[in-house]
Amino acid sequence: MLVSEIEIITPISVNDCLLLLSKNETEHRIIAGGTDAVVRMKEGKWRPSAWINIKGLKDLRYIKEKNGAIHIGPLTTHTDIIHSPLLQKRADVLVEACREVGAVQMQNMGTIGGNIGTASPAGDTIPALYVLEASIELQSINSSRIIPINQLFTGPGRTVIKPNEMITNIIIKPQTENEIGIFQKLGPRKAQSISIVNVAIMLSMASNRECLGGKIAFGSVAPTIIRAKKCEALLSLNPLTDDIIENIAKVAWKEVMPITDGRATAEYRRDMASALLERGLFRLMRRWENK
Amino acid sequence: MKELNFTVNGTLHSVSCHPAKTLLDVLREDLDMTASKECCGKGECGSCSVLLNGEVVCSCLVLIGQVENEEITTCEGIGFPENMDIIQESFVDEGATQCGYCTPGIIVASKAFLKNIDHVPTVDEIKTALGGNLCRCTGYTKIIHAIQTAAIKQFQEKGSIQV
Ligand SMILES: Cc1cc2nc3c(=O)[nH]c(=O)nc-3n(C[C@H](O)[C@H](O)[C@H](O)COP(=O)(O)OP(=O)(O)OC[C@H]3O[C@@H](n4cnc5c(N)ncnc54)[C@H](O)[C@@H]3O)c2cc1C
Ligand code: FES
Ligand code: FES
Repeated sequence: MLVSEIEIITPISVNDCLLLLSKNETEHRIIAGGTDAVVRMKEGKWRPSAWINIKGLKDLRYIKEKNGAIHIGPLTTHTDIIHSPLLQKRADVLVEACREVGAVQMQNMGTIGGNIGTASPAGDTIPALYVLEASIELQSINSSRIIPINQLFTGPGRTVIKPNEMITNIIIKPQTENEIGIFQKLGPRKAQSISIVNVAIMLSMASNRECLGGKIAFGSVAPTIIRAKKCEALLSLNPLTDDIIENIAKVAWKEVMPITDGRATAEYRRDMASALLERGLFRLMRRWENK
Repeated sequence: MKELNFTVNGTLHSVSCHPAKTLLDVLREDLDMTASKECCGKGECGSCSVLLNGEVVCSCLVLIGQVENEEITTCEGIGFPENMDIIQESFVDEGATQCGYCTPGIIVASKAFLKNIDHVPTVDEIKTALGGNLCRCTGYTKIIHAIQTAAIKQFQEKGSIQV
């Protein structure tokens, strides 16, 4: 398929889009902000017979509170998230992750739905969504289902989303007063760079440095995002003193399972996973103490 | 081939081309607006930056079939030598351009940045705002000065206080 042969179909509503997807006999593919899609089209990797252009579907661009949860539409851009007072207050780990995506140009076009859809093990919003216990609503013309984020990805670039389905809602659990979160990323340079390793951390704090429990999700150290369960188990055993934090970071070195690729070696990734977790926990403790 | 309508710099255009052509290629090839440049073609350098409904985006990653009826502003729309914008004047005054390949994209990105700011930006703020724009010549120092100068002038014109 040549680029000049690719059609663009612009559905006028979500329903119209689901109808198009249900008839998806030929190779159609959704395009939102296009920041992944167009790059892959140019590289020859993604050449659908038509792009289903959902960028203009305003009904899928929202951030709202509902029944104690926060609902985020898939067409919400990284910029929308960065500027949302609700998310700044109740999901700062996601706001921090979106700030790390590319640079302003990518944040203005790139959407959270697209970041999930690309399913890169290095996608920056995904670890944040893991620690916010996100559920992803998938709709087709005649059904809808809600999948916990940790069951959505099956490998690099692969998800359980069926060809006739699309993401229509991202539901997260807001942080409570005693929960603190942080996102840490290492890339080849500060802007516009794919993560070599990233980590999202969420802690539930008691008094001082006593931690009731927490979640740690690493990106780019396995075929999909992973929760570091062994590290998590150590969070609540003792108050998070500097020594304890250093020990937890050492456990992370063993727990991650990275590979060597063009961006970094496996060993470097282990070292950096450990360092990012240590730095993240130190910074969180500083923030907590100044809160 | 498809007939597509959109607005560039306030003028409605109608172009007949394949819908998966990039906005950048349409601007340069079909509309002869060559301020926006192609360098990397994959979102990394910012030399193709334009405003889409007022927000800075990389036109090399926008498909023309996605911008029907939308509003685009290129560097040409910000100003020409005879009616330069404050930002363009500041780039000239500060000598913030050398080969000039990155300049239109940086002017566009700076325009979007300064529109939303209520103080003279710090160096770090400018670096974050322009993180998506690469320049191989200037070393950025003069670009950063030019943007600060433009911000100061902008506030002087508005008569508002500066920080
Ligand atoms: C220069 C550059 C730098 C980048 N830097 C980063 C970075 O630092 N961190 C990072 O995480 N990413 C980065 N990216 C990748 C990209 O910008 C993000 O993944 C972005 O969020 C993708 O969103 P989009 O709307 O552009 O997706 P698109 O390209 O439009 O779509 C991506 C995929 O998602 C699918 N999709 C989109 N919406 C839906 C939906 N509602 N339902 C089902 N499927 C859907 C599409 O079919 C496609 O397969 C970068 C990209 C570039 C070009
Ligand atoms: S040419 Fe578009 S970002 Fe480089
Ligand atoms: S002036 Fe030459 S690239 Fe910036």
